[in-house]
Amino acid sequence: MATASGTFTRFISPSGVSPLGVSAVLGAWMLIVILPLLGLVLWSFLKLENFQLVWEPTLQAYRDLLSSGRWEVTVRTLRIAAIVTLIELALAVPFAVWLAKGTRSVPVKVITLAALTIPFFLSLSARTIVWRAVLGLNGPINSALMSLGLIDQPLDWLLFSEFAVIVGLIGPYFPPMVFPLYLAVTLIGDELLAASKDLGASPAFTFRHVILPLALPGLGAGFIFTFIPMIGDPVVPELLGGGQVVVLASSVKSLLQVLNYTVAAALSVFMLAIMVGLAAILTLVLRGRVRRQST
Amino acid sequence: MTVHAAHTPKISEWPVWTRLGALTGFVALIAIYAPILWLMIMSVSGDPLSGIPGPFTSEWYGTLVTNTNWLEPLWLSVLLGLAVAFTCMVCATVVGRAIPRIRQGKGAILAVALFPLMIPGVVVGTALFLYFRVLLGLKMGMWSLFAGHLVWSFPFALLAVLVVALRFDTRLLESGADLGASAWQRFRDIEFPLLKDGIISGGLFAFLLSFNEIARSIYLRGRVETLPIYLWQQASTKTSNVPLIYSLNVIILIVSTIIVAIAFWLLFGRREK
Repeated sequence: MATASGTFTRFISPSGVSPLGVSAVLGAWMLIVILPLLGLVLWSFLKLENFQLVWEPTLQAYRDLLSSGRWEVTVRTLRIAAIVTLIELALAVPFAVWLAKGTRSVPVKVITLAALTIPFFLSLSARTIVWRAVLGLNGPINSALMSLGLIDQPLDWLLFSEFAVIVGLIGPYFPPMVFPLYLAVTLIGDELLAASKDLGASPAFTFRHVILPLALPGLGAGFIFTFIPMIGDPVVPELLGGGQVVVLASSVKSLLQVLNYTVAAALSVFMLAIMVGLAAILTLVLRGRVRRQST
Repeated sequence: MTVHAAHTPKISEWPVWTRLGALTGFVALIAIYAPILWLMIMSVSGDPLSGIPGPFTSEWYGTLVTNTNWLEPLWLSVLLGLAVAFTCMVCATVVGRAIPRIRQGKGAILAVALFPLMIPGVVVGTALFLYFRVLLGLKMGMWSLFAGHLVWSFPFALLAVLVVALRFDTRLLESGADLGASAWQRFRDIEFPLLKDGIISGGLFAFLLSFNEIARSIYLRGRVETLPIYLWQQASTKTSNVPLIYSLNVIILIVSTIIVAIAFWLLFGRREK
């Protein structure tokens, strides 16, 4: 231990930071984060026989994943997450540009940023159950449409449907898309935008050729922060899908309940792989862009 | 307003962003806040499930006093949140104050510590369940919830501490040492008072994240019923308790908002004076 902390001190300037404390916390962190995640990968390559794990590598769990109805669940989850992410993008890009460059009022900025942050710490189920009453058969939307004479029968696809899940996801997953975008656009110098305008560029041209390329890292980060948590979210789909819209998170839960550990692990690894894949694509795109700029 | 415009043409003069950006932001903020507002209105309405407000009554807040099933989940959640918050504050301080001073491997440590921010909750829940329950054969309960919530909250607490730790000028410690202060005195009298706001807001964030956690808890809770799980289950099953959920959620929302406001004020607001 003495030699371990000795090598550690070389990396830390001697101003009162104990390398022991940091290594203790990071060691504990390895035990409850990194090891379980590595374990997950290991589990997914094992097989179950009579509810006992058999320690020989196999791709059985992944084959099970592709068979049965799970593939459908996976496609549905990815489809919902992709649709909502695209909606968030359409809403967040103009908004982030406006917030970063369009308004110069500090109170407006501070209040807007606070308004976007506060809901993150509020109960998601509390914010979601309300949609059940709003979208329900006797809810205000159906009542309004019927009293306007637009429909004769209440619309039954408003609630307990993919539509309801998508509507319910838009609000909670908007802030994680806006924040990275906002940061990225803030970092673009005003003089660049002014120069573009002075040279006769239209707002659309400036957006396409100045703002968008420079905000690309923010766009990528926003995409990851929105898409990834959404595919792992059981709350909104279960409350607004009402059992009709089964997503990956619910699927993993029922797999664990029937003690099908390996397939549950494989499903989780699959979600991790999506995350790592997206992050890798983003890194490659950004790196390629930097190289092009430097040449 | 005309004063700014005098220098260079600014993007804010381009009407297309002002209109479009403000409009999409407005739509999104409605999607966020309409449900919260609706929850508040319906919690004082005669039939919260009807979707139509009124007649107004405080009846559902009254039932919270008579029907006290929610007290035990609340108590467990508060206890859990406090334990998570305290642990996060200590660990985030230990790591957060070290990071600006680490010469090598800073990026790697940060990446490992902030990694769980990007992992879907269900993946962390499954990983910890298989690790604790199946691999180590432990019985799930409060402690496994604690571990799961820690994994979720610690990165946020660390970020809050980093906000203040990165602003901290380590030369203050050197002058403290020159004046003969011991290592402990330097921490207690110089460093801690300057990091305090970040540590406290990190703790407040950690508490709230734990207090509202569902995605990881469903795998790790064993038989323990935390408040969000209780509320979620009551909401999913169409029982007569639903009106009670509305009033209880409103109270939690208000308290949570106050806590967030305090945390932000400590972290960013006080400095501006």
